Amino acid sequence: MRRAPFVVAGTVAGVAGVLLFHPQSGVSLGTIPSASTSSGAGSSSSAASSASSGSAGGSGSAAAGSSTSTSTGSSNGTSGTATTTMYTGTSVTYNYGVLAVKITVSGHKVTNVGIASLTDGGNFRSQSIDQQAIPTLEQEALAAQSANIQSVSGASYTSAGFARSLQSALSKAGL
Amino acid sequence: MGTVVTIDLFGETHGARTREPLDRLVDAACAVLHDADAVFSTWREDSPISRLRRGELTVDACPPVVGEVLSRCAEAHATSMGWFDPWALPGGVDPTGLVKGWAAQLALSQLLGTGVEGAIVNAAGDVAAWGAPAPGQPFRIGIVDPFDPSRLACVVELDGARGGAIATSGTYERGPHLIDPRTAERASAVASATVRGPDLGLADALATAVAVSGTVDFVDAVEGYEAFVIGLDGRACSTPRFAFATDPVVVRH
Repeated sequence: MRRAPFVVAGTVAGVAGVLLFHPQSGVSLGTIPSASTSSGAGSSSSAASSASSGSAGGSGSAAAGSSTSTSTGSSNGTSGTATTTMYTGTSVTYNYGVLAVKITVSGHKVTNVGIASLTDGGNFRSQSIDQQAIPTLEQEALAAQSANIQSVSGASYTSAGFARSLQSALSKAGL
Repeated sequence: MGTVVTIDLFGETHGARTREPLDRLVDAACAVLHDADAVFSTWREDSPISRLRRGELTVDACPPVVGEVLSRCAEAHATSMGWFDPWALPGGVDPTGLVKGWAAQLALSQLLGTGVEGAIVNAAGDVAAWGAPAPGQPFRIGIVDPFDPSRLACVVELDGARGGAIATSGTYERGPHLIDPRTAERASAVASATVRGPDLGLADALATAVAVSGTVDFVDAVEGYEAFVIGLDGRACSTPRFAFATDPVVVRH
């Protein structure tokens, strides 16, 4: 098993934009729009546990990403109605196996986040890890949204792989 | 080190302020973290710490920062009455229980005096902060419920004016991984141990020590540091001055 390498993310916040998602399958989510400042990964190393919606001055168009997934949904250009596209992040090795995150993007907004693939080396723990990885990042979203808190202590290591794959998917989507 | 780090900057957005200087600040903080990883990652075979562990290098032959970190480890060992013991781990000395917090604290220091009003560095759940999220407001940091990572057990305030840090150590995230220095076996007396204090490196080490020992008394004896523990039975206890912003609620399933 290889560990994920050192991963760093930066965010700039006036009010931080954060991805919100739920652990149940079928995952619903929305984004919390930032009031004034856009946010995004601020470092040259990729991966982030938070990302903005397409707020003021955000990336121009929902790029037609070269997705590695088999999901469909191609779109070119953004004039007129928002198109929906799915992007799958790169597969990352984490401490229990391999996972890849899949996102659905409509216009500039991420409307769905899920696990595209998850292998666990045949270990029954995969389900608990899956359940744990998403709620852990969700709690950061919960934090920013509801309890007026700025950060959370006690995050799970397994979220590292998830965050990296998620950022990869976001990058492909041009977000 | 296999750690996800988040850096948050807080301040007024002015029309003329662009992203670029802020990105540079974050890059400077990230560079500190990368440098620490290059020296201290036990996952890199050729890092100075790995070579030290294999006996290929002496401490004196390592970059000076190794000696500095090991000396902080020795202090933390004494402060924690021996419960934090990087020399008790198999494979050679392993300062990881202190390095993560130490590196995050150092990264935060890159952001001091740069014109932002507040900053947080969160290294996989170890948090260091200074300044304020908004004028006159303290930082509020949630502590994860070890029995349900999708919710918080409580919220703690950090006074960023003096700088502040919170470290949480627990077995819930990746299974028992704490070593009892008395027996060199895996030990887990608590579900989650949180330490709050001025320096994240020491808080990190003390949280590890509390998680293994199951006691908070030695933390209470350290000026400026407090602890909060959630036991495997779901009961919570804390040192008298632990600054809860909300009463802890832990639901054991």
